[in-house]
Amino acid sequence: MFETLRKTLTGLTAAAALTAIAAPAAMAQEKSLLDDILARGKLIVGTGSTNAPWHFKDESGNLVGFDIDIAKMIAMGLFKDPNKIEFVEQSSDARIPNVTTGKVDITCQFMTVTAERAQQVAVTIPYYREGVGLLMKAGGKYKSYDDLKKAGSGAVISVLQNVYAEDMVHAALPDAKVDQYESVDLMYQALSSGQADAAATDQSSVKWFIVQQPGQYIDAGYAWGPQSYSCAVKRGDQQWLNFVNTVLHEAMTGVDFATYAGSFKKWFGVELPQPAIGFPVEYK
Amino acid sequence: MLDFTRFFVEIYPARWAILEGVGMTLVISFLSIVLGTILGIGVALSLVYGGRVQRFAVRAFLEYVRGTPVFVLILACYYLLSQLVQLTPFQAGLIALTVFCSSHVGENLRGALLALPRGQTEAAKAIGLTFRQTFVYVLAPQALRQALPAWINTASELVKASTLLSVIGVVELMLTTRQIIARNFMSLEFYCLAGIIYFLISFSIERLGRRVERRIALPS
Repeated sequence: MFETLRKTLTGLTAAAALTAIAAPAAMAQEKSLLDDILARGKLIVGTGSTNAPWHFKDESGNLVGFDIDIAKMIAMGLFKDPNKIEFVEQSSDARIPNVTTGKVDITCQFMTVTAERAQQVAVTIPYYREGVGLLMKAGGKYKSYDDLKKAGSGAVISVLQNVYAEDMVHAALPDAKVDQYESVDLMYQALSSGQADAAATDQSSVKWFIVQQPGQYIDAGYAWGPQSYSCAVKRGDQQWLNFVNTVLHEAMTGVDFATYAGSFKKWFGVELPQPAIGFPVEYK
Repeated sequence: MLDFTRFFVEIYPARWAILEGVGMTLVISFLSIVLGTILGIGVALSLVYGGRVQRFAVRAFLEYVRGTPVFVLILACYYLLSQLVQLTPFQAGLIALTVFCSSHVGENLRGALLALPRGQTEAAKAIGLTFRQTFVYVLAPQALRQALPAWINTASELVKASTLLSVIGVVELMLTTRQIIARNFMSLEFYCLAGIIYFLISFSIERLGRRVERRIALPS
Protein backbone atom coordinates (compact mmCIF):
# COMPACT_ATOMS: atom_id res chain seq x y z
CA MET A 1 0.00 0.00 0.00
CA PHE A 2 2.64 2.51 1.11
CA GLU A 3 4.90 1.19 -1.59
CA THR A 4 2.28 2.00 -4.26
CA LEU A 5 1.72 5.46 -2.84
CA ARG A 6 5.45 6.13 -2.76
CA LYS A 7 5.82 5.00 -6.36
CA THR A 8 2.89 7.15 -7.45
CA LEU A 9 4.37 10.18 -5.73
CA THR A 10 7.77 9.60 -7.30
CA GLY A 11 6.07 9.27 -10.65
CA LEU A 12 4.18 12.51 -10.16
CA THR A 13 7.32 14.36 -9.11
CA ALA A 14 9.15 13.09 -12.14
CA ALA A 15 6.27 14.12 -14.38
CA ALA A 16 6.20 17.59 -12.84
CA ALA A 17 9.94 17.94 -13.31
CA LEU A 18 9.66 16.85 -16.92
CA THR A 19 6.90 19.35 -17.60
CA ALA A 20 9.02 22.08 -16.07
CA ILE A 21 11.88 21.21 -18.39
CA ALA A 22 9.67 20.70 -21.43
CA ALA A 23 7.65 23.91 -21.07
CA PRO A 24 10.36 26.44 -22.04
CA ALA A 25 11.40 24.17 -24.89
CA ALA A 26 7.83 24.10 -26.18
CA MET A 27 7.61 27.87 -25.91
CA ALA A 28 10.78 28.33 -27.92
CA GLN A 29 9.23 26.24 -30.70
CA GLU A 30 5.93 28.10 -30.55
CA LYS A 31 5.02 29.70 -33.83
CA SER A 32 5.51 33.41 -34.11
CA LEU A 33 3.23 35.74 -36.06
CA LEU A 34 6.27 36.10 -38.30
CA ASP A 35 5.77 32.52 -39.55
CA ASP A 36 2.05 33.07 -40.06
CA ILE A 37 2.69 36.20 -42.11
CA LEU A 38 5.28 34.44 -44.26
CA ALA A 39 2.88 31.54 -44.82
CA ARG A 40 0.02 33.91 -45.60
CA GLY A 41 2.07 35.75 -48.19
CA LYS A 42 0.98 39.25 -47.23
CA LEU A 43 1.37 41.67 -44.36
CA ILE A 44 -1.74 43.20 -42.75
CA VAL A 45 -0.98 46.76 -41.70
CA GLY A 46 -3.22 49.07 -39.73
CA THR A 47 -2.86 52.72 -40.66
CA GLY A 48 -4.88 55.86 -41.24
CA SER A 49 -5.90 57.61 -44.43
CA THR A 50 -6.52 61.19 -43.37
CA ASN A 51 -3.17 62.71 -42.34
CA ALA A 52 -0.64 64.01 -44.85
CA PRO A 53 2.27 63.40 -45.13
CA TRP A 54 1.96 60.31 -42.94
CA HIS A 55 -0.87 58.30 -44.47
CA PHE A 56 -3.33 59.74 -46.97
CA LYS A 57 -4.94 59.11 -50.35
CA ASP A 58 -3.28 60.65 -53.37
CA GLU A 59 -5.38 61.89 -56.28
CA SER A 60 -5.53 58.43 -57.85
CA GLY A 61 -6.82 56.99 -54.60
CA ASN A 62 -3.64 55.20 -53.53
CA LEU A 63 -2.59 55.20 -49.91
CA VAL A 64 0.71 57.09 -49.68
CA GLY A 65 2.90 58.77 -47.07
CA PHE A 66 5.81 58.15 -44.75
CA ASP A 67 3.97 55.57 -42.61
CA ILE A 68 3.00 53.75 -45.81
CA ASP A 69 6.62 53.70 -46.96
CA ILE A 70 7.70 52.28 -43.60
CA ALA A 71 5.09 49.52 -43.97
CA LYS A 72 6.36 48.83 -47.49
CA MET A 73 9.91 48.49 -46.19
CA ILE A 74 8.70 45.82 -43.75
CA ALA A 75 6.84 44.00 -46.57
CA MET A 76 9.98 44.25 -48.69
CA GLY A 77 11.94 42.61 -45.89
CA LEU A 78 9.38 39.82 -45.63
CA PHE A 79 8.61 39.03 -49.25
CA LYS A 80 11.07 41.01 -51.38
CA ASP A 81 7.94 42.78 -52.62
CA PRO A 82 6.82 46.09 -51.10
CA ASN A 83 3.27 45.64 -52.36
CA LYS A 84 2.33 42.41 -50.59
CA ILE A 85 0.38 44.40 -48.03
CA GLU A 86 -3.25 44.63 -47.07
CA PHE A 87 -3.91 48.00 -45.46
CA VAL A 88 -6.65 48.29 -42.86
CA GLU A 89 -7.70 51.94 -42.78
CA GLN A 90 -8.26 52.71 -39.14
CA SER A 91 -8.92 55.79 -37.03
CA SER A 92 -6.29 56.91 -34.53
CA ASP A 93 -8.39 55.47 -31.68
CA ALA A 94 -8.16 52.04 -33.31
CA ARG A 95 -4.38 51.87 -33.37
CA ILE A 96 -4.00 49.88 -30.16
CA PRO A 97 -7.22 47.81 -30.12
CA ASN A 98 -6.67 46.63 -33.69
CA VAL A 99 -3.27 45.27 -32.66
CA THR A 100 -4.40 43.67 -29.41
CA THR A 101 -7.43 41.98 -31.02
CA GLY A 102 -5.35 40.64 -33.90
CA LYS A 103 -7.12 42.65 -36.62
CA VAL A 104 -3.73 43.70 -37.96
CA ASP A 105 -0.18 42.33 -37.75
CA ILE A 106 1.26 45.75 -37.07
CA THR A 107 0.16 49.36 -36.72
CA CYS A 108 2.22 52.02 -38.50
CA GLN A 109 0.29 55.22 -37.85
CA PHE A 110 2.39 58.08 -36.39
CA MET A 111 2.00 56.65 -32.92
CA THR A 112 3.67 58.65 -30.19
CA VAL A 113 5.47 56.32 -27.81
CA THR A 114 4.43 56.66 -24.19
CA ALA A 115 5.03 54.38 -21.21
CA GLU A 116 1.25 53.83 -20.93
CA ARG A 117 1.01 52.62 -24.52
CA ALA A 118 4.02 50.37 -24.06
CA GLN A 119 2.05 48.51 -21.41
CA GLN A 120 -0.67 47.64 -23.92
CA VAL A 121 1.33 46.91 -27.04
CA ALA A 122 4.95 46.23 -27.86
CA VAL A 123 6.47 49.30 -29.51
CA THR A 124 9.22 49.04 -32.09
CA ILE A 125 12.26 51.26 -32.31
CA PRO A 126 11.28 54.79 -33.40
CA TYR A 127 11.43 55.71 -37.08
CA TYR A 128 10.83 59.45 -36.71
CA ARG A 129 11.16 62.10 -34.03
CA GLU A 130 8.24 64.52 -34.14
CA GLY A 131 8.21 67.98 -32.59
CA VAL A 132 6.54 71.36 -32.93
CA GLY A 133 7.90 73.59 -35.67
CA LEU A 134 7.19 77.07 -37.02
CA LEU A 135 6.09 77.68 -40.60
CA MET A 136 6.67 81.17 -42.01
CA LYS A 137 6.09 82.90 -45.32
CA ALA A 138 9.19 83.31 -47.46
CA GLY A 139 10.20 86.97 -47.66
CA GLY A 140 8.04 87.94 -44.68
CA LYS A 141 8.70 90.37 -41.87
CA TYR A 142 10.65 87.81 -39.85
CA LYS A 143 13.34 85.54 -41.23
CA SER A 144 13.92 83.03 -38.47
CA TYR A 145 13.06 81.80 -35.02
CA ASP A 146 15.49 84.33 -33.50
CA ASP A 147 13.65 87.21 -35.20
CA LEU A 148 10.33 85.95 -33.82
CA LYS A 149 11.79 85.66 -30.35
CA LYS A 150 13.24 89.18 -30.53
CA ALA A 151 9.87 90.56 -31.68
CA GLY A 152 8.39 89.41 -28.35
CA SER A 153 4.71 90.26 -28.08
CA GLY A 154 4.81 91.70 -31.61
CA ALA A 155 4.88 88.23 -33.15
CA VAL A 156 1.53 86.59 -33.86
CA ILE A 157 1.47 82.80 -34.00
CA SER A 158 -1.48 80.86 -35.43
CA VAL A 159 -2.13 77.45 -33.97
CA LEU A 160 -4.76 74.72 -34.07
CA GLN A 161 -7.19 75.14 -31.20
CA ASN A 162 -6.48 72.92 -28.22
CA VAL A 163 -6.17 73.15 -24.46
CA TYR A 164 -2.38 73.20 -24.45
CA ALA A 165 -1.93 75.42 -27.51
CA GLU A 166 -1.03 78.57 -25.56
CA ASP A 167 1.52 76.80 -23.35
CA MET A 168 2.92 74.92 -26.31
CA VAL A 169 3.75 78.11 -28.22
CA HIS A 170 4.97 79.96 -25.12
CA ALA A 171 7.46 77.16 -24.42
CA ALA A 172 9.42 78.42 -27.42
CA LEU A 173 8.19 82.02 -27.75
CA PRO A 174 7.31 83.18 -24.20
CA ASP A 175 5.86 86.57 -25.19
CA ALA A 176 4.27 85.85 -28.58
CA LYS A 177 0.57 86.49 -29.18
CA VAL A 178 -1.23 83.20 -29.82
CA ASP A 179 -4.22 83.03 -32.16
CA GLN A 180 -6.11 79.74 -32.05
CA TYR A 181 -8.02 78.44 -35.07
CA GLU A 182 -10.65 75.72 -35.32
CA SER A 183 -9.20 73.89 -38.27
CA VAL A 184 -5.90 73.32 -40.00
CA ASP A 185 -6.94 75.13 -43.15
CA LEU A 186 -7.93 78.26 -41.19
CA MET A 187 -4.63 78.14 -39.32
CA TYR A 188 -2.71 78.11 -42.60
CA GLN A 189 -4.99 80.74 -44.07
CA ALA A 190 -4.10 83.10 -41.20
CA LEU A 191 -0.46 82.71 -42.18
CA SER A 192 -0.94 83.14 -45.92
CA SER A 193 -3.18 86.21 -45.47
CA GLY A 194 -0.62 87.82 -43.13
CA GLN A 195 -2.80 87.76 -40.01
CA ALA A 196 -0.16 85.60 -38.38
CA ASP A 197 3.63 85.76 -38.65
CA ALA A 198 4.08 82.04 -38.18
CA ALA A 199 1.99 78.90 -37.78
CA ALA A 200 3.00 76.51 -35.01
CA THR A 201 2.28 72.91 -35.97
CA ASP A 202 3.93 69.50 -36.16
CA GLN A 203 7.42 69.74 -37.63
CA SER A 204 6.44 67.08 -40.18
CA SER A 205 3.49 69.20 -41.34
CA VAL A 206 5.78 72.23 -41.65
CA LYS A 207 8.17 70.25 -43.85
CA TRP A 208 5.33 68.77 -45.93
CA PHE A 209 3.78 72.20 -46.50
CA ILE A 210 7.09 73.50 -47.80
CA VAL A 211 7.51 70.44 -50.05
CA GLN A 212 4.05 71.02 -51.53
CA GLN A 213 4.49 74.73 -52.16
CA PRO A 214 8.17 75.18 -52.92
CA GLY A 215 9.62 78.66 -52.54
CA GLN A 216 6.61 80.17 -50.80
CA TYR A 217 7.21 79.08 -47.23
CA ILE A 218 10.15 78.50 -44.92
CA ASP A 219 10.86 76.60 -41.73
CA ALA A 220 11.80 79.01 -38.91
CA GLY A 221 14.55 76.57 -38.00
CA TYR A 222 13.65 75.67 -34.47
CA ALA A 223 11.59 72.76 -33.21
CA TRP A 224 10.75 71.66 -29.69
CA GLY A 225 8.65 69.13 -27.77
CA PRO A 226 10.18 65.81 -28.88
CA GLN A 227 7.99 62.74 -29.43
CA SER A 228 9.03 59.36 -30.82
CA TYR A 229 6.97 57.73 -33.55
CA SER A 230 7.02 53.93 -33.57
CA CYS A 231 5.09 51.02 -35.01
CA ALA A 232 3.28 48.72 -32.59
CA VAL A 233 2.81 44.96 -32.49
CA LYS A 234 1.08 42.59 -30.10
CA ARG A 235 2.82 42.01 -26.81
CA GLY A 236 4.50 38.68 -26.16
CA ASP A 237 5.82 37.90 -29.64
CA GLN A 238 9.49 38.70 -29.37
CA GLN A 239 10.40 37.12 -32.73
CA TRP A 240 8.05 39.31 -34.71
CA LEU A 241 9.06 42.42 -32.76
CA ASN A 242 12.75 41.64 -33.36
CA PHE A 243 12.13 41.20 -37.05
CA VAL A 244 10.41 44.58 -37.41
CA ASN A 245 13.08 46.26 -35.30
CA THR A 246 15.78 44.78 -37.51
CA VAL A 247 14.06 46.04 -40.67
CA LEU A 248 13.62 49.54 -39.23
CA HIS A 249 17.15 49.64 -37.86
CA GLU A 250 18.73 48.61 -41.15
CA ALA A 251 16.51 51.08 -43.01
CA MET A 252 17.87 53.93 -40.90
CA THR A 253 21.49 52.81 -40.60
CA GLY A 254 22.22 49.89 -42.94
CA VAL A 255 21.55 48.28 -46.31
CA ASP A 256 18.14 49.88 -46.81
CA PHE A 257 19.24 53.39 -45.93
CA ALA A 258 18.73 54.60 -49.51
CA THR A 259 15.05 53.60 -49.44
CA TYR A 260 14.47 55.27 -46.07
CA ALA A 261 16.37 58.41 -47.05
CA GLY A 262 14.50 58.58 -50.38
CA SER A 263 11.18 58.46 -48.60
CA PHE A 264 12.33 61.02 -46.02
CA LYS A 265 13.34 63.39 -48.81
CA LYS A 266 10.02 62.85 -50.62
CA TRP A 267 7.78 63.69 -47.67
CA PHE A 268 9.91 66.05 -45.59
CA GLY A 269 12.14 67.57 -48.25
CA VAL A 270 15.24 66.88 -46.19
CA GLU A 271 18.37 65.13 -47.46
CA LEU A 272 19.62 62.82 -44.73
CA PRO A 273 23.39 62.45 -44.24
CA GLN A 274 24.63 58.93 -44.88
CA PRO A 275 25.44 56.96 -41.71
CA ALA A 276 29.19 57.10 -41.04
CA ILE A 277 31.05 54.08 -42.39
CA GLY A 278 33.30 52.29 -39.95
CA PHE A 279 32.37 52.44 -36.31
CA PRO A 280 28.58 51.77 -35.96
CA VAL A 281 26.65 55.05 -35.62
CA GLU A 282 24.54 53.75 -32.73
CA TYR A 283 27.54 53.75 -30.34
CA LYS A 284 29.01 57.11 -31.18
CA MET B 1 -14.25 82.13 -47.15
CA LEU B 2 -15.43 79.54 -49.67
CA ASP B 3 -13.05 79.38 -52.57
CA PHE B 4 -15.14 78.08 -55.43
CA THR B 5 -12.54 78.15 -58.19
CA ARG B 6 -10.15 76.05 -56.13
CA PHE B 7 -13.04 73.86 -55.05
CA PHE B 8 -13.81 72.92 -58.64
CA VAL B 9 -10.13 72.36 -59.36
CA GLU B 10 -9.95 69.99 -56.39
CA ILE B 11 -13.25 68.23 -56.95
CA TYR B 12 -12.33 66.95 -60.40
CA PRO B 13 -9.53 64.57 -59.35
CA ALA B 14 -11.66 63.53 -56.36
CA ARG B 15 -14.72 62.63 -58.46
CA TRP B 16 -14.17 58.85 -58.51
CA ALA B 17 -13.34 58.73 -54.82
CA ILE B 18 -16.56 60.60 -54.03
CA LEU B 19 -18.61 58.34 -56.29
CA GLU B 20 -17.09 55.25 -54.68
CA GLY B 21 -17.83 56.71 -51.25
CA VAL B 22 -21.45 57.35 -52.23
CA GLY B 23 -21.59 53.83 -53.67
CA MET B 24 -20.35 52.30 -50.43
CA THR B 25 -22.82 54.37 -48.39
CA LEU B 26 -25.69 53.24 -50.62
CA VAL B 27 -24.64 49.58 -50.75
CA ILE B 28 -24.16 49.14 -47.02
CA SER B 29 -27.32 51.11 -46.20
CA PHE B 30 -29.38 49.15 -48.72
CA LEU B 31 -28.09 45.76 -47.57
CA SER B 32 -28.64 46.56 -43.91
CA ILE B 33 -32.17 47.84 -44.63
CA VAL B 34 -33.07 44.66 -46.53
CA LEU B 35 -31.47 42.25 -44.05
CA GLY B 36 -32.62 44.31 -41.07
CA THR B 37 -36.20 44.30 -42.35
CA ILE B 38 -36.21 40.51 -42.77
CA LEU B 39 -34.77 40.08 -39.28
CA GLY B 40 -37.16 42.75 -37.99
CA ILE B 41 -40.20 40.86 -39.29
CA GLY B 42 -38.93 37.84 -37.37
CA VAL B 43 -38.52 39.99 -34.28
CA ALA B 44 -42.07 41.36 -34.56
CA LEU B 45 -43.58 37.89 -35.12
CA SER B 46 -41.71 36.53 -32.10
CA LEU B 47 -42.89 39.40 -29.95
CA VAL B 48 -46.54 39.11 -30.95
CA TYR B 49 -47.00 35.37 -31.47
CA GLY B 50 -43.99 33.77 -29.78
CA GLY B 51 -44.07 31.64 -26.65
CA ARG B 52 -43.08 33.00 -23.26
CA VAL B 53 -39.36 32.10 -23.54
CA GLN B 54 -39.05 33.31 -27.11
CA ARG B 55 -40.79 36.58 -26.27
CA PHE B 56 -38.52 37.13 -23.31
CA ALA B 57 -35.34 36.41 -25.28
CA VAL B 58 -36.30 38.65 -28.19
CA ARG B 59 -37.47 41.40 -25.83
CA ALA B 60 -34.11 41.28 -24.01
CA PHE B 61 -32.25 41.51 -27.32
CA LEU B 62 -34.41 44.42 -28.43
CA GLU B 63 -34.02 46.39 -25.21
CA TYR B 64 -30.28 45.87 -25.29
CA VAL B 65 -29.93 47.05 -28.90
CA ARG B 66 -32.30 49.99 -28.51
CA GLY B 67 -30.62 51.07 -25.31
CA THR B 68 -27.18 51.13 -26.94
CA PRO B 69 -25.86 53.92 -29.16
CA VAL B 70 -25.25 52.74 -32.74
CA PHE B 71 -21.67 53.81 -32.32
CA VAL B 72 -21.15 51.37 -29.45
CA LEU B 73 -22.95 48.68 -31.44
CA ILE B 74 -20.50 49.15 -34.30
CA LEU B 75 -17.45 48.96 -32.05
CA ALA B 76 -18.90 45.90 -30.30
CA CYS B 77 -19.44 44.12 -33.60
CA TYR B 78 -15.93 44.93 -34.76
CA TYR B 79 -14.02 44.18 -31.57
CA LEU B 80 -16.14 41.85 -29.41
CA LEU B 81 -17.19 39.54 -32.25
CA SER B 82 -13.54 39.35 -33.29
CA GLN B 83 -13.00 37.18 -30.22
CA LEU B 84 -15.01 34.52 -32.07
CA VAL B 85 -14.37 35.25 -35.72
CA GLN B 86 -12.26 37.89 -37.49
CA LEU B 87 -14.65 40.16 -39.38
CA THR B 88 -13.67 42.73 -41.95
CA PRO B 89 -14.81 46.30 -41.23
CA PHE B 90 -17.50 45.92 -43.91
CA GLN B 91 -18.89 42.71 -42.41
CA ALA B 92 -18.83 44.05 -38.86
CA GLY B 93 -20.47 47.29 -40.00
CA LEU B 94 -23.16 45.45 -41.92
CA ILE B 95 -24.00 43.29 -38.89
CA ALA B 96 -24.18 46.32 -36.60
CA LEU B 97 -26.48 48.29 -38.92
CA THR B 98 -28.63 45.23 -39.64
CA VAL B 99 -29.16 44.60 -35.94
CA PHE B 100 -29.91 48.28 -35.38
CA CYS B 101 -32.40 48.28 -38.27
CA SER B 102 -34.08 45.07 -37.11
CA SER B 103 -34.74 46.50 -33.67
CA HIS B 104 -36.54 49.50 -35.13
CA VAL B 105 -38.47 47.54 -37.75
CA GLY B 106 -39.38 44.90 -35.18
CA GLU B 107 -40.75 47.39 -32.69
CA ASN B 108 -42.70 49.35 -35.31
CA LEU B 109 -44.20 46.28 -36.86
CA ARG B 110 -45.15 44.87 -33.48
CA GLY B 111 -47.04 48.08 -32.79
CA ALA B 112 -48.77 47.88 -36.16
CA LEU B 113 -49.78 44.25 -35.62
CA LEU B 114 -51.16 44.94 -32.16
CA ALA B 115 -53.14 47.90 -33.47
CA LEU B 116 -55.21 45.62 -35.70
CA PRO B 117 -58.60 44.81 -34.19
CA ARG B 118 -58.76 41.30 -32.66
CA GLY B 119 -61.98 40.71 -34.53
CA GLN B 120 -60.06 40.26 -37.77
CA THR B 121 -58.03 37.31 -36.46
CA GLU B 122 -61.22 35.82 -35.05
CA ALA B 123 -63.06 36.31 -38.34
CA ALA B 124 -60.17 34.71 -40.23
CA LYS B 125 -60.27 31.73 -37.89
CA ALA B 126 -64.02 31.50 -38.33
CA ILE B 127 -63.75 31.15 -42.09
CA GLY B 128 -61.11 28.44 -41.62
CA LEU B 129 -57.87 30.22 -42.49
CA THR B 130 -54.69 28.74 -41.04
CA PHE B 131 -52.38 31.02 -39.01
CA ARG B 132 -50.09 31.35 -42.00
CA GLN B 133 -52.95 32.36 -44.30
CA THR B 134 -54.33 34.74 -41.71
CA PHE B 135 -50.99 36.46 -41.43
CA VAL B 136 -50.18 36.61 -45.13
CA TYR B 137 -53.62 37.62 -46.45
CA VAL B 138 -55.25 39.49 -43.59
CA LEU B 139 -52.81 40.90 -41.06
CA ALA B 140 -49.55 41.53 -42.93
CA PRO B 141 -50.95 43.78 -45.69
CA GLN B 142 -52.59 46.06 -43.15
CA ALA B 143 -49.72 46.05 -40.66
CA LEU B 144 -47.09 46.75 -43.32
CA ARG B 145 -49.17 49.67 -44.57
CA GLN B 146 -49.34 50.98 -41.03
CA ALA B 147 -45.62 50.54 -40.45
CA LEU B 148 -44.49 52.04 -43.75
CA PRO B 149 -43.97 55.69 -42.66
CA ALA B 150 -41.87 54.58 -39.69
CA TRP B 151 -39.97 52.19 -41.93
CA ILE B 152 -39.03 54.99 -44.32
CA ASN B 153 -37.86 57.01 -41.38
CA THR B 154 -35.68 54.09 -40.26
CA ALA B 155 -34.20 53.81 -43.73
CA SER B 156 -33.04 57.42 -43.82
CA GLU B 157 -31.87 57.05 -40.21
CA LEU B 158 -29.66 54.17 -41.37
CA VAL B 159 -28.06 56.19 -44.15
CA LYS B 160 -27.07 58.74 -41.53
CA ALA B 161 -25.89 56.06 -39.09
CA SER B 162 -23.63 54.63 -41.79
CA THR B 163 -21.36 57.69 -41.35
CA LEU B 164 -20.26 56.15 -38.05
CA LEU B 165 -18.72 53.21 -39.89
CA SER B 166 -15.83 55.46 -40.87
CA VAL B 167 -14.45 54.84 -37.38
CA ILE B 168 -13.77 51.18 -38.06
CA GLY B 169 -12.43 51.94 -41.52
CA VAL B 170 -15.33 51.40 -43.93
CA VAL B 171 -14.53 53.87 -46.69
CA GLU B 172 -17.99 55.35 -47.12
CA LEU B 173 -18.80 58.94 -48.05
CA MET B 174 -17.79 60.41 -44.69
CA LEU B 175 -14.33 58.81 -44.60
CA THR B 176 -13.85 59.60 -48.29
CA THR B 177 -14.59 63.24 -47.54
CA ARG B 178 -12.09 63.29 -44.69
CA GLN B 179 -9.49 61.68 -46.94
CA ILE B 180 -9.98 64.39 -49.55
CA ILE B 181 -9.76 67.13 -46.94
CA ALA B 182 -6.54 65.59 -45.59
CA ARG B 183 -5.06 66.21 -49.02
CA ASN B 184 -6.26 69.74 -49.78
CA PHE B 185 -7.37 71.15 -46.38
CA MET B 186 -10.65 72.45 -47.88
CA SER B 187 -12.72 71.29 -44.93
CA LEU B 188 -15.62 73.73 -45.21
CA GLU B 189 -16.22 73.12 -48.92
CA PHE B 190 -16.01 69.34 -48.87
CA TYR B 191 -18.02 68.88 -45.67
CA CYS B 192 -20.72 71.05 -47.28
CA LEU B 193 -20.64 68.82 -50.34
CA ALA B 194 -20.98 65.70 -48.17
CA GLY B 195 -23.89 67.33 -46.35
CA ILE B 196 -25.66 68.08 -49.61
CA ILE B 197 -25.15 64.50 -50.86
CA TYR B 198 -26.50 63.03 -47.61
CA PHE B 199 -29.49 65.34 -47.83
CA LEU B 200 -30.17 64.26 -51.41
CA ILE B 201 -30.03 60.58 -50.46
CA SER B 202 -32.37 61.04 -47.48
CA PHE B 203 -34.69 63.26 -49.47
CA SER B 204 -34.90 60.69 -52.29
CA ILE B 205 -35.76 57.95 -49.80
CA GLU B 206 -38.45 60.18 -48.32
CA ARG B 207 -39.96 60.97 -51.77
CA LEU B 208 -39.82 57.36 -52.83
CA GLY B 209 -41.54 56.37 -49.60
CA ARG B 210 -44.32 58.90 -50.10
CA ARG B 211 -44.87 57.61 -53.60
CA VAL B 212 -45.12 54.00 -52.38
CA GLU B 213 -47.48 55.12 -49.62
CA ARG B 214 -49.80 56.73 -52.16
CA ARG B 215 -49.62 53.72 -54.44
CA ILE B 216 -50.68 51.26 -51.77
CA ALA B 217 -53.13 53.52 -49.97
CA LEU B 218 -56.58 52.02 -49.60
CA PRO B 219 -59.22 53.82 -51.62
CA SER B 220 -61.26 55.85 -49.19
